[in-house]
Amino acid sequence: MNYLYLRTFSFWKILPTLTFVVFVSPLVIVLLSLTGDYSDNWTHLYNFVLGDYITNSIFLVLGVGLISLIIGTSSAWIITKYDFFGRRILEWALILPLAIPPYILAYTFTGLFDDYGSANEFIRWMFNLDSSFVFFPNVRNIFGAIIVFAFTLYPYIYLISRAAFLNQSKTLTDTGRILGLGGYRIFINLGLPMIRPAVIAGLMLVIMETLSDFGAVDHFAIQTFTTGIFRTWYGMYDLHTAMQLASLLLLFIIVFLVLERSSRMNAAYNSPVSNANSSSSEKLNGSKSFLCFIGCFIPIFIGFILPILELSRWAFTYNTGFFNESFFIQAKNTFLIALMASIVCTVIAFTINFSVRHTKVIFLKRINPFLSVGYGVPGLILAVGIVQMFTYLDKGIFVGFDFVLTGSLFGLLLAYLIKSYALSNSTIESGFERLSNKLDDSARVLKSSGWNLLLRVHFPLMKTSLLTSILLVMSEVVKELPATLILRPFNFDTLAVSTYIYAAEERMFEAASPAIAIVVIGLIPIIILTRMIKDSKDTPYLK
Amino acid sequence: MIKRILITLIAVTYLLPIFSAELNIYTSRHYDSDNTLYAEFTKKTGIKVNIISGNGSALLERLKSEGSNSPADLFFTVDAGNLWKIQKEGYFQSITSKKITSIVPENLIGPNKEWVAIAKRARVIFYNPKKVTLDEVENLSYLDLEKDEWKGRLVIRSSNNIYNQSLVASLIANYGIERTESWARNFVGNFSRKPQGNDRAQIMAVAKGQADIAIANSYYYGLMLSGLKGEEQKEAAENVTMLFPSQKEEGVHINISGLGILKSAKNMDNANKFIEFLLTDEFQEHMVFNSFEYPISKSVSPHPLIEGAGLNFKEDEISVTNYGKFNSEAVKLMDRVGWK
Repeated sequence: MNYLYLRTFSFWKILPTLTFVVFVSPLVIVLLSLTGDYSDNWTHLYNFVLGDYITNSIFLVLGVGLISLIIGTSSAWIITKYDFFGRRILEWALILPLAIPPYILAYTFTGLFDDYGSANEFIRWMFNLDSSFVFFPNVRNIFGAIIVFAFTLYPYIYLISRAAFLNQSKTLTDTGRILGLGGYRIFINLGLPMIRPAVIAGLMLVIMETLSDFGAVDHFAIQTFTTGIFRTWYGMYDLHTAMQLASLLLLFIIVFLVLERSSRMNAAYNSPVSNANSSSSEKLNGSKSFLCFIGCFIPIFIGFILPILELSRWAFTYNTGFFNESFFIQAKNTFLIALMASIVCTVIAFTINFSVRHTKVIFLKRINPFLSVGYGVPGLILAVGIVQMFTYLDKGIFVGFDFVLTGSLFGLLLAYLIKSYALSNSTIESGFERLSNKLDDSARVLKSSGWNLLLRVHFPLMKTSLLTSILLVMSEVVKELPATLILRPFNFDTLAVSTYIYAAEERMFEAASPAIAIVVIGLIPIIILTRMIKDSKDTPYLK
Repeated sequence: MIKRILITLIAVTYLLPIFSAELNIYTSRHYDSDNTLYAEFTKKTGIKVNIISGNGSALLERLKSEGSNSPADLFFTVDAGNLWKIQKEGYFQSITSKKITSIVPENLIGPNKEWVAIAKRARVIFYNPKKVTLDEVENLSYLDLEKDEWKGRLVIRSSNNIYNQSLVASLIANYGIERTESWARNFVGNFSRKPQGNDRAQIMAVAKGQADIAIANSYYYGLMLSGLKGEEQKEAAENVTMLFPSQKEEGVHINISGLGILKSAKNMDNANKFIEFLLTDEFQEHMVFNSFEYPISKSVSPHPLIEGAGLNFKEDEISVTNYGKFNSEAVKLMDRVGWK
């Protein structure tokens, strides 16, 4: 196979292979730590803390997975199958929490629900209670963290399930009715199982993001695998062991990815029936309509409205210098680098997925999912891998040039690409899956192949997916923090950096205005995304 | 299209550092007042200051990767541990300026003058005078907090925090691992809640009566009393009393903000000028009034708001390099005794 692969040498094979090498190298560097020595610190970790790290992480992932599944799929079902009060707004508003990074929701949660937080103060003021009365339960624990992650990450599942439900034939619901099933049973027994692979793909994004997060769990002082990695590095001064821990996390994610792929391979889930008549939804009235409204409103309230209210309170009460010069520079930096990263990332994902489809080389198909692994690695560990990769490049390849990758915008951009490729890839891959292979065959008959096929045939058909990919990557890069911190050039501040710098000292009031700005800039792509959802039946979605 | 973007990117990267007189600093100090300080320095000397701020360990990793190509001239941190780490890895050069080394006391300077402190903070005790008698706190030491009488009365933040790691490291240096571990086990047993929140949150907990005693850094008290953090925090700070522990023993635990010149430094003169500037009375006063730290310069007095807690307290004069040396041991010890 290797022989054949090399003999038919073409751009479409070189690009994915080259990208694969660049994207995977930093991760390989992290994994290589496993082959090195194992320090005494391992005995300590094993004896005292590793068990806690693992159980907490598993509990967290299970909790977040379950709750985001419930919120994501059920809200998507209600929105697609029923017509009720406020549906038109809720349909797109359900995506808004995607603009709130988990760490910011975590900060606002403690600001609200700590014993002397504003929510508790509000309750005391409302009912004229004594200052020792505490209404809300403590959120600085694993349950609080589960809520935080689930309510910021469920939109990934919502987006994907909604698109899948839309494509589901109405015959399915009708069949359920004939069998005497109620709405709820149809959802559980028919609707949900049919979109399982799509949902699992969304769930993967949620899980990877939960596992790689440091900010939120650190704020709640929960010992997870990721906080353990940093404690080993920062506290025990042992980066090598920290990288070995990170490698274990990475291996776990790789196994997960492989399982997910193979589970998808076994079955075909597309409905043979067209979805032409799927648009009709049942009209609800009265209490049922109200219940649906509340059900869809709660996730938006917790994941978006509440944190925005609290952040605004902080910003307006305590912050004077909101619109100063450095703020605008940071906003500009953030926006431009996010835009650049998202365009480049989308172009690469589009070309690679086209290559996979066009060349039909199994090897390319196999390596494609691994390009996404970067998404699940804690940002700072990925950054360390990238820094070390740059060191090799700077000292090996670029040695004659007066140019260092480390600390250049180019290096930062590369980090963003590796980190967010998964988002681009999942969108574009599913976009391609919806293009019938017959289309390519017809094009071939008309002598269209390669660039011509890509630009003249696929590009116009894939516009929605491409735009979705750009928007998702943008909203991700705007929030990105750890890699930015270590890789950025001098004086290059982004909004996330500025939020972190204040929040690290728990100076939340000062952190509020850059945090709001992150949300606002993150909202731009999301609002465009929601417009697309509203305007077209050909819904953009992730897979 | 991609090519054009790449070329622009590379060009931008090149063009950014075209400034003749400049100074490149890696810093883990993120105080707003520092920006005014950099601006002030530029105004005085015409030297442009370029900053990358981030976590100390992460910046050190970047420094290692850049090697002798590193553009950084200075490394600035808020704890002695990181300074020690960089010193041990051999990235600092000795500071030769007499102007600098003559001002800073011996225990707050690197063994071969690799770095110097420019400000101090003490890790002190805050108690609620309504719930703690004067008798109870008389001559109170860190070690005394292991006693049963404090059961359920203590609050302190998580052991992930560097200030706690340094405190425990200093106890290890003073009393040995065994003694410190038995102390820590009882100390943790006396906690009134699982460690949570920052230093100010501990002081708040004492002020609101959730606990009787908190350990936190001295400058937070000044910050809260100043009213800069809101009326509620000011009120809370007024309800607690600050106390310097271990006055009959080793003295109160001191940590530093400090910096050193890197071997890769290309702007040596500017780096020296910057450190000299930090140690001038003018800057020391600026710092005292903005971050409420204790000054290094003897001719500058601490902020009036924290003067009230006393000025002639005894400091633990153990070399702060011990914090770095014993940091790893301290973290493991806290893991063993279940200090979350």
